[in-house]
Amino acid sequence: MRRHPTKQGNGMKRKSIFTALLTGVALLSLSSCNGMLDDIYDIPQESTPDGYGFLPSGDATASGKVCIDATDYKKWTYIDFRNKVCHTTEIGEDSTDAAPAEWDIAVHRYDTKTNGASVCETDENVLGKPLPAGAVFAEDVYTTDRIATDMSGMMDGNILYASSYYNEVLSRWLDVDTSNMPPAYTLSGRVYIVKLKDGRHIGLKLSDFMNPAGIKGHMTIDYYIYPQAEQGILIMNNP
Amino acid sequence: MQTILRKVFIALLVMTASAVSAQRTVNGTVTDGRGTPLIGASVSLKHRPHTGTTTDTKGHYTLVIPAGEDPTLQVSYIGYIPRTGKPSIKTNRLDLALNEDETGLQTVVITGTRTPKLLKDAPIVTKVISADRIKKTDATHIGELLQAEIPGIEFSYAMDQQVTLNMQGFGGNSVLFLQDGERIAGETLDNIDYNRLNMDNVERIEIVKGAASSLYGSNAVGGVVNVITRDATEPWTANLNARIGAHNNQRYGGSFSFKSGKFNSLTNIQHTHADAIDLGRDGDYSTVFGSKTWNIKERLTFNATDRLNFTGRAGYYFRERDKSADTRNRYRSFSGGIKGRYSFAGGKDDIEVAYSFDQYDKSDLITSSRNDIRDYSNVQNSLRALYNHKTGRKNVLTVGGDYMRDYLMSYQFENNGSKRQYTCDAFAQADLHVTDKLSAIAGLRYDYYSEARANNLSSKLGMMYKVGNCSLRGSYSGGFRAPTLKEMYMSFDMASIFMIYGNENLKPERSHNFSLLAEYIKGRCSVTVTGYYNKVDNRITTAWNKALNGMQYVNMAPLKISGFDVNAQVKYPCGFGASASYAYTHEHIKAGEPLTSSTRPHTATARIEYDRQWKSYGFCITLSGRFLSGVTTDEYTSVSSYEETSRQRYPGYAMWKLSLAQRIAKGVNITLAADNLLNYRPSYYYNNSPSTTGTTLAAGISVDIDKIFK
Repeated sequence: MRRHPTKQGNGMKRKSIFTALLTGVALLSLSSCNGMLDDIYDIPQESTPDGYGFLPSGDATASGKVCIDATDYKKWTYIDFRNKVCHTTEIGEDSTDAAPAEWDIAVHRYDTKTNGASVCETDENVLGKPLPAGAVFAEDVYTTDRIATDMSGMMDGNILYASSYYNEVLSRWLDVDTSNMPPAYTLSGRVYIVKLKDGRHIGLKLSDFMNPAGIKGHMTIDYYIYPQAEQGILIMNNP
Repeated sequence: MQTILRKVFIALLVMTASAVSAQRTVNGTVTDGRGTPLIGASVSLKHRPHTGTTTDTKGHYTLVIPAGEDPTLQVSYIGYIPRTGKPSIKTNRLDLALNEDETGLQTVVITGTRTPKLLKDAPIVTKVISADRIKKTDATHIGELLQAEIPGIEFSYAMDQQVTLNMQGFGGNSVLFLQDGERIAGETLDNIDYNRLNMDNVERIEIVKGAASSLYGSNAVGGVVNVITRDATEPWTANLNARIGAHNNQRYGGSFSFKSGKFNSLTNIQHTHADAIDLGRDGDYSTVFGSKTWNIKERLTFNATDRLNFTGRAGYYFRERDKSADTRNRYRSFSGGIKGRYSFAGGKDDIEVAYSFDQYDKSDLITSSRNDIRDYSNVQNSLRALYNHKTGRKNVLTVGGDYMRDYLMSYQFENNGSKRQYTCDAFAQADLHVTDKLSAIAGLRYDYYSEARANNLSSKLGMMYKVGNCSLRGSYSGGFRAPTLKEMYMSFDMASIFMIYGNENLKPERSHNFSLLAEYIKGRCSVTVTGYYNKVDNRITTAWNKALNGMQYVNMAPLKISGFDVNAQVKYPCGFGASASYAYTHEHIKAGEPLTSSTRPHTATARIEYDRQWKSYGFCITLSGRFLSGVTTDEYTSVSSYEETSRQRYPGYAMWKLSLAQRIAKGVNITLAADNLLNYRPSYYYNNSPSTTGTTLAAGISVDIDKIFK
């Protein structure tokens, strides 16, 4: 009399184990066909957080951020700090694009040039500090082998370059080591002082070269426009 | 009538009593050579193997021998040479001490046939690295271990410091790595993430060189490496271990296992850390990236009955690589599975059904935004059924099939897209014990890949003939590798330098592998010589496509790889042991093909050790070395043309390692190691140079907590 229920109990127990296992397998397989735990990753927007161009800041005139899309090898982005505008032009023999009437610096990928300005590299990593005495400013140089417009022949040693002015000091804001593949990128983290031809001084720091999605060529530049009084000090220290 | 019944009853009673009295209950203890009890040793009647038992935690056994049976007992234990003996008639007792299997031929292997088989009887050539050898090698990474133990294997760097394998001419996508028989998802530059193969709790590693597609399908063109985890056989075990080495190389691990009633469980957690290494010299790379890993695994077995058991497993793996100040590469895997095994017909038949899930993700942590952005995910859901039927004494018929759903999302697809592929296969194999001297194996497998629209029939035929102390093995096996989703659908902008495109019209790689092996064993010495020839058709590689103005995956002309291995080893009871292995590899690729050969032709490994063990102390001092010859190769001067080449010489090198493993009391093991004894340092760090800065030291401690209390 007692054996029968026990057998039935064992049978039910075994059945419930099978059912639980099968359910577990079914649930696991159905829920995980394309993977699991997606939530542990971030899905940022592809562009910069606040769009491109000059970003609004507390002090609208003296300091702020400017974000540019410099992913295209065949484009210059001209930045005008006085009017807070950016302008993009095509590079190439067929291009009729001309530089805008007013601009201060221009960026191509990680390369830079200035509108007749000169640049010095400081040891500072915070904007707005006085320029140390004895700083050396470097003007642009004319190059035929720095502004790469077509990398597709790189492995065969056939990179195409555009002839252009180039500021070697400001371009140090990001070191791109192409001796190995993929290239290694290192931000200098330093502040660069641009002495414009009209006497204005602007402090620049490249704070990022990637957008939130990690795509390289999206530049975030922090700037600080020195007030006239400070500019006087700067000029006194660096005639 | 009553008188008759009474007489019958008395007669039955007498017969029963005499039968019971004719039974013998014997007992005894099974120990190793040092008198340590062997727990779980198998004790059975020699001529009636189904009547048997296992030893308890004190190595003790009790066995009832039925009346009329020959009382000769056979005692066996993994890693020891089986012994037979007859219990004393007076005391009914038989105590046996088993000697360690110095040649390793009593090891049970599974990879070559997919069913457990003694190494000495396996018709498919299988190399085994035991748990003891893993411990003595002091290796954290499977690459270090395989390179130290087997010539012809080289782990080096590919682009971006990604680890890449060359096993006698076969790359990472041609050698199938398995963890307890399960495939491993994900790849980088055609290689799985070898760091996932944590060396804690590994019972043994089995390596089958040559094609094994008739059992394992795609990717097993060049061989199979199967990492097998130990079973929990004792009531409980607990181990904690730590190792510290040069460049702040740290490893910490902990394991806990138990066996209670119908359950047994094994839990393991391991963490490693390594600082970046500034190599201080020019090279294809000048800094080795720092990294850290976490590896957590759990396996639980439920023995529902003597014939039915279920095993569930789950694992999590995380690796972070400090690639640059702005980006850290992250690699994660989530894996799990459940397996049921049922044996019937008196243990002659068994069926196994398994479901396996493995997800491998890659993401980049952008340090400025702290965004962790995934750009790669490979998810494999597999279902497998396997049936073994034993006939006669040792004949085994194996049939089975697999179904897999392979999902891949990748940054190498257009717009980080995803693709799916379904694969299924069926296989059958007959493992025949023709005579005591001759055995044979034959197998056939059919594979189907949905996206590649690839069908393949792989076959295998192997024979083994034993003569005296010699055994000869010969085999033919067909290899197969279907084009992967990556190879079919890639559309990847390589740093704006060139595009790499997939090719939906790729044909599967197919290989033909012939091998011959001669083995001579006498006493404690063994010598094996293996020769092989491989022809690989339609090998898949990238080549410049003028029309696309970029690279594209294509099939190339046949590749031929031939060579031979020689291995000799000896081990004496006094504790002295030595081994030496040499491999010669010749890779022939037709001129003008997109690939050129860069496999080192000569490689060798050597080891001398002295091992002494007492009750409360033991040590093993090992000097091991590996030698890789230089290789001269013709490399194309252009990526877009396969006409002009320049000669490139990659230098050879030798690395020696001295290690001292000490056991204090029962459960404390201390290992000291000095690697690269000759202080070798490459003058230029090629991708295939060792990333060493000279001699390094390491120290490790491992404590078996359970042994301290036993």
